[in-house]
Amino acid sequence: MADPILEVHDLRVTFDTEGGLVPAVDGIDFAVAPGKTLAIVGESGSGKSVSSAAVMGILPSNAEVKGEVLLDGRELVGLPDDELRKIRGNDIALVFQDALSALNPYYTVGWQVAEAYRLHHAVSKKAAFKRAVELLDKVGIPDAARRAKSYPHEFSGGMRQRVVIAMALVNNPRVLIADEPTTALDVTVQAQIMQLLADVQEEFGTALVLISHDLGVVAEVADDVLVMYAGRAAERGTVRDLFYRAAHPYSLGLLGAMPRIDVPPKPRLTTIPGSPPSPGSIKTGCPFQPRCAYTERVGERCITERPELTPRPGEGDHEAACHLGRRPEVVS
Amino acid sequence: MTEELLRLDEVRKHFGLSGAPWRAAQTVKAVDGVSLVVRKGETVGLVGESGSGKSTLARVATRLLDPTSGRVQIGGKDVTKLRGRRLRPTRRTVQMVFQDPQASLNPRQSVGTILSTPFRAQGTRPTRAQLIELLEKVGLSAEHLERYPHEFSGGQRQRIGIARALAVSPELLICDEPVSALDVSVQAQVLNLLADLRDELGLSYVVVAHDLAVVRQVASRVAVMYLGTIVEEGPADQVYAAPAHPYTKALLSAVPMPEPGVTRDRIVLTGDVPTPISPPSGCPFRTRCYKAEDICATDRPVLEIINGQTEHRAACYFPEPPPPERK
Repeated sequence: MADPILEVHDLRVTFDTEGGLVPAVDGIDFAVAPGKTLAIVGESGSGKSVSSAAVMGILPSNAEVKGEVLLDGRELVGLPDDELRKIRGNDIALVFQDALSALNPYYTVGWQVAEAYRLHHAVSKKAAFKRAVELLDKVGIPDAARRAKSYPHEFSGGMRQRVVIAMALVNNPRVLIADEPTTALDVTVQAQIMQLLADVQEEFGTALVLISHDLGVVAEVADDVLVMYAGRAAERGTVRDLFYRAAHPYSLGLLGAMPRIDVPPKPRLTTIPGSPPSPGSIKTGCPFQPRCAYTERVGERCITERPELTPRPGEGDHEAACHLGRRPEVVS
Repeated sequence: MTEELLRLDEVRKHFGLSGAPWRAAQTVKAVDGVSLVVRKGETVGLVGESGSGKSTLARVATRLLDPTSGRVQIGGKDVTKLRGRRLRPTRRTVQMVFQDPQASLNPRQSVGTILSTPFRAQGTRPTRAQLIELLEKVGLSAEHLERYPHEFSGGQRQRIGIARALAVSPELLICDEPVSALDVSVQAQVLNLLADLRDELGLSYVVVAHDLAVVRQVASRVAVMYLGTIVEEGPADQVYAAPAHPYTKALLSAVPMPEPGVTRDRIVLTGDVPTPISPPSGCPFRTRCYKAEDICATDRPVLEIINGQTEHRAACYFPEPPPPERK
C-alpha cells in the first residue's frame, strides 16, 4: 500500500459538559492513502462525526483533543489556529451532511465557492468566480455559468450537495472527509453523488474518508473500513474483511439487521437488543457487552477487561476488539 | 375476495400556493389521481422519492387531509365527505404511525396520558391494566407508564407511537416512514415488531418509505409513486424481481448492494424530480426516462396489466420485458 496521506493515532476527544467529562472518542487509529477510501461506520453516538471534526480541528471549545493527526507527516493537533486555517479547506476539506445549513442563504453559490478559493489563493474576485464556475461545472451542475449566480434555496437537495462538494474541491484537497454526504438524498441522487466522488478520486488521487451508517454505500465505495462503537474501534479491515469475514459480534449484528433487496426477505431480521449506549456510560469492560449475544460464552472478561484491537490470525491487517477469539457465527 | 379495508378512487390532493400578490396563484399537485386498494391481511408498501406524494397520500387515506377530488372508502364505507366528530368511527379502523417519534409525542405528557388520549377521543376511559397491556404488546412494560418521552431512546419512542396507534384496536395501520429516524440495529427491532403485531393481531399495514429495502422486508404488495401518481404496482416479489416501469428499474438499480466487488448495471438517472407545480405533459417520468418517445409527451399512460400477470400493473408505453428465466 502507498504511504498514507492522513494518519490518525490514538485519537481521543473529551467534552467538558455540565454533566461532567464525556469521552466521545476513546482512542482510535486510522490511515488513508491517496486515491483510497476509508469508511468509518457506526450508529448515533459512536463518535464517527466527532472524529472527523477533530481531524478538521473544528470542534467547539469545550472539546479536548488528544492523540496524533498527521497530514503528510505533519502534526495537526495543537497547531495554532492561523496555521490550521491554511491547511483546512486547502489540503484537507470536509463535505457536510446537511447542504442546506452548510450554505449561506444570503450569498450566491458561485460567490461561496469563490470565497473558499480566495481564502487560499491571492487572486481577483473575477478569477475566483471563474474558478467557481469551473468547479460547479465539474460537479455536474448544468448551465454552471448562469446557475452560479443563483442562491442556495433555488437549488434542489441533490444540486445543493453538489455545490458543497464543489466548495470542498475548489482547492484540490489531498484529503476529503465526507460526513454522511448522501444521507439526506434520494437513492437515485445518491447514486449520482457517489459516482461524482469516485470520478474526483480517480482524476485527482484524492484520499476519501467516508463517514456513513449505510453499509450498502460502504460496500460499494470503500477500500478499508473502521467500525466504531461507543467511541472505540470495534473492528478494522478491508471492505471484504467486514462483509465476508466479520469478526466482531457488533459488525455481524449490523449486517444481519440490514434489510436487503437482492435476496428474498427473511421472516425476521437479526436484531441487536437494546440501543447504542450514550458516550461514556460504559466505564469498564467491552462497551458492546450489554447487547452482545456472546458474553455468556466468554464470561467475566467482557465485563471487567476492555478488549483491544487484535489481529485476526492469517487475515492480514484485519483486526477486531473482542474477547471471543474466534469468528462469531450468524445467528438468525 | 377478502375484505377491503381501504379503497382510494382517483384521489387527488392539490395544495394552493397563493404566493405574492403580483404572482399568479399556483397549485401543487401533490397527489394526482391515485387509486389503491388495501385488503385485510396485506402489507402495502408505498415507495417513492421525496416529493412523490407518498406522505400526502397517507394523510388523505387516514383522512387527516381532505382530498381535492376522488373517493376514500374505509371499511367499505365512503368517508370522503365526513369531517370532525363524524370521522371518529373510522379512526377505530385506521390509525397512523408517524415518522418522527420525537415530534409526534407530547413532551409534557407521561406515556400513560399519551396512551389514554385515543381512548378518551373515543369517549371511553382506559384501565391501568389496558394501558399496561398496550405497552407489553410493543415490548415495553408497566414501569414505563409514568415516564416522559425524553426518558426514552428513539426506538422506544417509536414503540410508544405504535402503542398509541394500537389503543383503539384498529385493523389498518398507516405507517409514514416508521423507521427512517432510527439506527440500523434499532430499525430491525421495529420492523420485527411490526411483523409480530401483524401475526398476533391480524393487522394490515400501509408502509410509506423511501428505503426500498425496508419496504422489501415488510411488504406483500408494492406501489411505486412518482410525481403524485402510481407508476407501478404489484406483488412485492414480482416488482422487485422484474420491475416493469423504467423508473422502478432505475430506482432499484440505484440501491447500493452490501456485496463488495460485485459490479452491477446501474441506470443513473440524470436531473432531478420535476416540480409538482408544473409536472411534465404526458408521462410524468418522461423527462428523465431513458426510453421516452414522442407519445410519452402527449398522452399520459395508465396502469395496465403487464406480462400477463393479473396483479402486476405499470403505467408505461414501453414496459421492461421480464428477465429471462433462471435455469
